[in-house]
Amino acid sequence: MTRSVRKTAAVAALALFTALTPVTALAKDSFSICWSIYVGWMPWDYGAQQKIVDKWADKYDIEIDVVQINDYVESINQYTAGAYDGCAMTNMDALTIPAAGGVDSTALIVGDFSNGNDGVVLKGTDKLADTKGQNVNLVELSVSHYLLARALDTVGLSEKDLTVVNTSDADMVAAYTTKDVTAVATWNPLLSEITAMPDSHKVFDSSKIPGEIIDLMVVNTETLKANPAFGKALTGAWYEIMATMSADDAKGKEARTFMAKASGTDLAGYEAQLDSTRMFYQASEAVEFVNSAELKDTMQKVAEFSFDHGLLGEGAPDAGFVGIETPAGVFGSDSNIQLRFIPDYMAMAAEGKL
Amino acid sequence: MKKLINRRPGKPASWALGLLPFLLLIVAYMLASDARLTENPNDKLLPALDSFVQAIDRMAFEPSKRSGEYLLWEDTLASLQRLGIGVAISALIAVVVGIGNGTIPLIRSTFSPLVTGLSLVPPMAILPVLFIIFGLGELAKVMLIIIGITPFMIRDLQQRAMEIPAEQIIKMQTLGANTWQIITRLVWPQLMPRLISAVRLSLGPAWLFLIAAEAIAATEGLGYRIFLVRRYLSMDVILPYVVWITLLAFAIDFLLSRYSQWRYPWFHQKSH
Amino acid sequence: MAIIEMKNLWKEYGDQVVLERLNATVNEGEFITIVGASGCGKTTFLKLLLGTEQATRGELLLDGHPLPAEPDESRGIVFQRYSVLSHLTALENVMLGGELHGNRWLGITFGKQRKQLRKAALEMLDSVGLGQAADKYPHELSGGMQQRLALAQALIKRPRILLLDEPFGALDPGIRADMHKLVLSLWKEQNLTVFMITHDITEGFYLGTRLWVFDKPRLDAQAPGAYGAKVTYDLPVGDCENGTLKRINQTVGRTSRVLNDTL
Repeated sequence: MTRSVRKTAAVAALALFTALTPVTALAKDSFSICWSIYVGWMPWDYGAQQKIVDKWADKYDIEIDVVQINDYVESINQYTAGAYDGCAMTNMDALTIPAAGGVDSTALIVGDFSNGNDGVVLKGTDKLADTKGQNVNLVELSVSHYLLARALDTVGLSEKDLTVVNTSDADMVAAYTTKDVTAVATWNPLLSEITAMPDSHKVFDSSKIPGEIIDLMVVNTETLKANPAFGKALTGAWYEIMATMSADDAKGKEARTFMAKASGTDLAGYEAQLDSTRMFYQASEAVEFVNSAELKDTMQKVAEFSFDHGLLGEGAPDAGFVGIETPAGVFGSDSNIQLRFIPDYMAMAAEGKL
Repeated sequence: MKKLINRRPGKPASWALGLLPFLLLIVAYMLASDARLTENPNDKLLPALDSFVQAIDRMAFEPSKRSGEYLLWEDTLASLQRLGIGVAISALIAVVVGIGNGTIPLIRSTFSPLVTGLSLVPPMAILPVLFIIFGLGELAKVMLIIIGITPFMIRDLQQRAMEIPAEQIIKMQTLGANTWQIITRLVWPQLMPRLISAVRLSLGPAWLFLIAAEAIAATEGLGYRIFLVRRYLSMDVILPYVVWITLLAFAIDFLLSRYSQWRYPWFHQKSH
Repeated sequence: MAIIEMKNLWKEYGDQVVLERLNATVNEGEFITIVGASGCGKTTFLKLLLGTEQATRGELLLDGHPLPAEPDESRGIVFQRYSVLSHLTALENVMLGGELHGNRWLGITFGKQRKQLRKAALEMLDSVGLGQAADKYPHELSGGMQQRLALAQALIKRPRILLLDEPFGALDPGIRADMHKLVLSLWKEQNLTVFMITHDITEGFYLGTRLWVFDKPRLDAQAPGAYGAKVTYDLPVGDCENGTLKRINQTVGRTSRVLNDTL
């Protein structure tokens, strides 16, 4: 009897963890990607709803499931755990979560960079240097944190000069209305809501560090290598959506209205967010951006920031521990490349070869 | 052979059977972790056991590179302080209002409906309001705990106060007690062990509210750390923290239970 | 000297008459045992004496004055259960009355005053046979010992009247006999005036000086609440005329059957 009990228990206990056993990347014909609500990722929702993604998947005889996840960090964690083949995320999170976690990831599509969508807002003063000795509320270890570090550089301060208070993005606007909170770093649409409040001064935003906060579609490198069709279908779908939404016609307006509604705002609000986002509507612009030498410098800054904050893992001896491959060269370790920027698929789109 | 229902394990066998599920869970974890780590040596989702040891060592016994503090102890101290203040204030309010409501009908008629109403408000739902009223500092965290657990503790103690046999209250009067003396010499001492059990019951929700508050805005604390390192999937830190919180909760409960049995034997050994 | 006087006392709840037309005078030092079917107002009568219930009509006088409308020191009580405070030791239970008197604010005494109270309480515990159990909590005492403690706690306050509400109902017969002895000796020693409710008629017949039987002389089986109970027998104990006990038993038995059938 004891033996059968033991066996049952073992099976049950194993079942607990089977959900977490690794997914092996093999040639397959069914894929899934995930995304969360953000101005630069709303096109995925539009593409999925309008069957543009399905159309391109059919063309390459595969299936692609597009899943919305309400919590941004959770979506990246799910991708890192192997539940999805691709996920929409920023360059910094791609480095610190999947890449630092040993999940070799490729930035398949560079959709845009933040050009004012992330900012630092102060209450009652317009001098960034006044934050010295104060609390700054932000989502710790996020791009807002990186933006604050870059902002402090410009006035000769460092993070040690102030106290960072980790604050959930969901509560950022409510938090800002309280007396205790005098400085926040956050992103849109929260940023524009906070900036609109009385006596609020946006002292720094991402337009002052253009091209450093980049929104990507990141896919698993092994999956992509084994299934180029997956990359082609996604890239093809993306640039068809881009063409539709950027057009100055009724269809374009309809697409933007759709995205506005899905992200909980109206057309005017969404277009305001687009204004502070440098969208790469043309594949050729994105190819150019990826090929530039600045990308490598940006990723170095991001890697150094991440290393300083322990985001590359405690075993990391220096900022180059996790290798980052860009067309302009590799930053960091050649033997441990986990994040890759490749122009290949976007170039195919630019040349109309998809 | 005896029927299954009549077969009882001896003491050692009982221990062994109790430990078995834990061992099996650990073995199953190690197998799954091993499988993932063979695939990807940098995997963060199911770290190997020695990663936990390293993470504990790093968090508890090495000063942090950034702040020079021992993070685990700093977090524990911050959280326990919030929990302690929150639960202590709740207990005080609960015992005062509970006694008032439970003993004096005029007070009960006035406040009992209010307490019942308040206890039905889900505290997490009024979180944004709390932040606007109390700010984002320590006050808001302690207030969330207080608002979260006090109404139920009041209702519990009110009920317990009303359960004190009417005979004893009449007895006190025939011994010459006035209302205040009935409270100080009968109701208050009889409610003390019941207050301890109310505190033990509300510690679970109190931890929940504490961690929720720390997840929203904080610079240190056990909940803060978990939600922070969640951002880069640091399971090697999260899981030991979860185990540590569980141990703390168990220890507090155990100490309260032992204290109550030692201090109030008359409450725990009712026999005749 | 009359200590308790009842003049045409009625107790009604709405149209339910519980007690009607009670008239009696009780002198200091009398020991009255009250018997009757359950539902015949024995307990209600005790509550009137205690002050937790008030009469609807008539007068209830203690030493010639209306009885206070809430329990106080003039009346001591021993219930069947929960008579002593479970969170205090035997000694603390007996000292409690003195402490409440000595310190009106907290009900705790200190120093010399406490020493005196302690000495008196220990003597009282000795006199009820609990000298060895002074530091025990009630839960460590047997049922009989708990009732001894309750008596000691009530008597140390020297109440004008002592009310006993089926005090031995939950005890074993052997222990009950010991308790009878104790109560009788305390009554004699302290010249107490006692009202004791019992459901055991034989107990009522030899304990004390006077036996009251509460019964409903008029009984409407369709509306048992229409008429109240009265004192149908008021006998000096010792009148053991043949057949009295039997007769009381019969009438009380009949009332209780009717009440049980209709309720």
